[in-house]
Amino acid sequence: MGFTGILDLKQSPFKERGRPDFYLDLNLNQIIERICQEWGPEVASYYYYFPADKECETYRRDILADIKDAQLYEPLKLVTEMMQSYKEAGIKKEKISIKLQKAVWYIYQVGYYCDCCRKLYEILEQASLASEGLQALRTYLRNYLEQDVYRAAENHMNTLRDRLKDIHLTLYYENSRVIISQQQCEGSYDSFLRQCFPGHDSVLRNPLALEQEFTALEQELLKVFNKMNPDIFADIMKFYKESKEYDDKRLVQSIAELRFYLSFLQFEQKMERTGFAFAVPTVEEEQEFTANGLYDLALACVNLGRDKEVVSNDLVYHDKERFFVVTGPNQGGKTTFARSLGQLVYFCKMGLDVPAVSANVHYYKDILTHFSVEESVESGRGKLKEELRRLAPMMSRECSGSFIIINELFTTAANYDACIMGKRVLEHFIKDDCHGIYVTHLKELSEGNSQVVSMRAMLDENQLQNFKIVRSVADDTACAVNQVNKYRLTYEQLKERLV
Amino acid sequence: MKAHLLYDHKEWIRIKNYYDSRSIVQDLGLETLFVAAAKGVIKERDEIKAITEEDLFVKNTMRQVMLVPLESADEILYRQEIIRDCFANEEFICALFDLSQEILDKWDKLGRRDNDRMSMRNTPAFLVNEIHILRLFVSGLSRIKSLLAIYATRLESRGLSGLYERLCREYPEELEKQLNQILEDISFYVSAASGTIEFDKEYKPNIVLGCTLGGGMKFENLKLEQVSTDVRRYHAPGSAIGHAKEFMRSLTPNSIAAQKGAGVAPNIAELEYQIVAYVVGCFAPFVNDFGDFFVQLHMQSAFYRGAVNLKHHLMRYDLPSCYPTVGAQDSLRFENLKEFVMCIEQRINPVGNTCDIRDKMLLVVTGANQGGKSTFLRSIGIAQVMMQCGLPVAAVAYESGIFPQFFTHFTRREDSAMNSGRLDEELNRMNQIIEHLGERSMILLNESFATTTEKEGSVIAYDIVRALKEADVKILTVTHLLSFAQRMYDEVDTGMQKGVEFLCAERLTDGKRTFRMIQHAPELTSFGLDLFEELVGGLEIS
Repeated sequence: MGFTGILDLKQSPFKERGRPDFYLDLNLNQIIERICQEWGPEVASYYYYFPADKECETYRRDILADIKDAQLYEPLKLVTEMMQSYKEAGIKKEKISIKLQKAVWYIYQVGYYCDCCRKLYEILEQASLASEGLQALRTYLRNYLEQDVYRAAENHMNTLRDRLKDIHLTLYYENSRVIISQQQCEGSYDSFLRQCFPGHDSVLRNPLALEQEFTALEQELLKVFNKMNPDIFADIMKFYKESKEYDDKRLVQSIAELRFYLSFLQFEQKMERTGFAFAVPTVEEEQEFTANGLYDLALACVNLGRDKEVVSNDLVYHDKERFFVVTGPNQGGKTTFARSLGQLVYFCKMGLDVPAVSANVHYYKDILTHFSVEESVESGRGKLKEELRRLAPMMSRECSGSFIIINELFTTAANYDACIMGKRVLEHFIKDDCHGIYVTHLKELSEGNSQVVSMRAMLDENQLQNFKIVRSVADDTACAVNQVNKYRLTYEQLKERLV
Repeated sequence: MKAHLLYDHKEWIRIKNYYDSRSIVQDLGLETLFVAAAKGVIKERDEIKAITEEDLFVKNTMRQVMLVPLESADEILYRQEIIRDCFANEEFICALFDLSQEILDKWDKLGRRDNDRMSMRNTPAFLVNEIHILRLFVSGLSRIKSLLAIYATRLESRGLSGLYERLCREYPEELEKQLNQILEDISFYVSAASGTIEFDKEYKPNIVLGCTLGGGMKFENLKLEQVSTDVRRYHAPGSAIGHAKEFMRSLTPNSIAAQKGAGVAPNIAELEYQIVAYVVGCFAPFVNDFGDFFVQLHMQSAFYRGAVNLKHHLMRYDLPSCYPTVGAQDSLRFENLKEFVMCIEQRINPVGNTCDIRDKMLLVVTGANQGGKSTFLRSIGIAQVMMQCGLPVAAVAYESGIFPQFFTHFTRREDSAMNSGRLDEELNRMNQIIEHLGERSMILLNESFATTTEKEGSVIAYDIVRALKEADVKILTVTHLLSFAQRMYDEVDTGMQKGVEFLCAERLTDGKRTFRMIQHAPELTSFGLDLFEELVGGLEIS
């Protein structure tokens, strides 16, 4: 099979469907926003679809492993930046009307492109690569760089670019006239300023460079300069007029796709520096689905630099177990737990590392979520109706082998009704061979089905939420806060405090 | 550049107030001192002629500085030295403060704190304003330096002589000249942008600029070779001489006229702007450094300006004054100590107290109502705060330890109704104090836990005071909780407690009060009966 790019081994059907609900429900949009902060919307769009199948997920995971193992983050980042300059030069070229300027931008554009290709090849050549994807890219690039079209363009560009770089001008502005002369100057006033103000960071920028088009002053000056140097301009125009198709679409696309891995790695390193763990997940169907030290990555992003602890949890689906049913006090971390589980499956499916200490995840076809809209204006029958409207397509659709996350369904229905409906929903998804998690205030849902595991949000010894979710039989204890010896001012307490 | 007039090693930044300084101000009545320090006393032939309006800035500065404790004897000495210099050269400190005030005022007019100005950034008007600020700084520094130079031989403190040396070192004549040169080089911009044409002169830029050609043939890597301002005779463009000059210029080879076409002149104006902005931008380290210096100098000199005013107020009421000395933590010795705040408020010179207490960490003051107990406690509190910020105190002599963790816990008269909510509030405040105790802590307790019955209050007070004393906290307590005082006294008597001093309001045998405190065992009655007798009568005490 030919080289198809480094994101997708096969065309992904998920690419077409637009952004599903679970992105918002799992707070993935917050995470992706953070990841892509410095990378732009194009990179964010890579995060909005799953690879086609299990094989494609592995294809990505291997590439990510290669980049990490061979420490290619910095060098590859440089390559993507060069590619960015190339694209910008192209855009600038298109915007400009003056031929000579277009021609010069063209030279720069070809220059960035060639430099970028050379640099990438150099990096891949030196690294020991294990992944199918990067090996294929290396082979593809090697063949490309040997083609005549490419080599001719590169040589010609280099000659012209060097000649351009060699031009030094000096402008004299005095007596209401500007005189142009082809000579180099030292910048002695710059030196004087540096001597007076050691360490200043003032930079002299050309205000006329804010626009791509020539300003009136530049046009006039270049007319004068053109008369002084006719040859070089003639050569530049010639190169531009004889320009050929030199760039390779698949290569350009692959270099752009590198940013998917780089953006994630940058984010991962930043989170790891502040103490959040990431793990390379294994995907072994024969072993139990398990995760240790799993946490809500979106919450971690929000708490970054706020010195607030993010609670982590361990979990395992034994044998035939299909669903977690989570009950417990309000604000006890139930929804957070459900989200973190969804994020685990999402990042695993994307072929990326997961927010946990370690994890073995099974392969699921898709993720389906149903979260109650808390701030909904609707209430009573209206809200129930709205919930069922969203639930119906989830249940009627072909969804076998998916991962299901349901958060607080039927809160406005009568308990009796809600229990019956809830059990029906659970049975449906279990029958369809789905795994999942169901957060509810109905302890009845956790009972009477061996494929359902009862989990509970726990309280600590002071009856305060500690946000731990563990396997436990559901009960009805309320959360009470007990305050004893309010100001701790007895002699004994003071002795203890004043040590 | 650092002012370093308050500390020998740091400026007035990242300083730590007393915990709950608001209570300290309220309990000790310090606001009166801040106001007094902000009002100058104008004298003529030793007669007080007038009191000036209060200077808000000095008042706020006194509030800030007095509420931050110094931590060592040397830090206190450092400020005392400067105060001695200022007292010996009052006109110097006044001039220094006025000068820094003037610079800050002018800077304010140029928009120092005007945040709206930021929206003007990147405009020529803003740039011209920046140049005016630079001129203000450069001339201001020169003036401060000259002022210090005049008094240099008379200033003996490390702080003031150090300031002069530092200024000579960090702002040498060489730099002064260079900065003036640069400001002159770009002066064409100020007169051009502000549109003021001086009669028959024009200020023309003379600039030499190097560059290379970048992508799209745009000028890149700009290098400034020269910038200066030529002053020349002004000739109207339409006049005969103007025409002739323009013709001569047009003969220059490889050149274009700055007025050519409609677009060239604005481009040149942009270049001029950018070059001047670049030069002004180079001043940034200088502005950062010296901008803060002006602010610091203004603020720090205001403290000494306030100290001079306080001295005048002391003299006005014939109060004694001394530079306190730092002693051991468990000693407290003073001679003829006056309650300064009361003196100013009531314009009197009251009875002073004298004490020589050593090896004691706990002072229990009991005695008659209206006997001067609270005044006594406050006089020590005020002296302690003044000593700990380097000021002289109103006494013939004062010696005490340094207590950077200083707290007051006063039951305020209007609060003293029996009310569980009030007790709750009192306990809460005590809890907060204990939360913030440190190595060297002093607590002034005035009628604490009076918001409950005497019996309960005594138990609470006994527990807390005992625990605090065992934790080496210095405690001065004025109390009418007599069972508490008696229990303490008995324990000292039997040797269970050590290091406790008991003081009492003095009563002469005829029942008259002297408002003086004496070392004495606690009395079993607070003589409220006396007061009742005096005000109501009819009790017939035997």
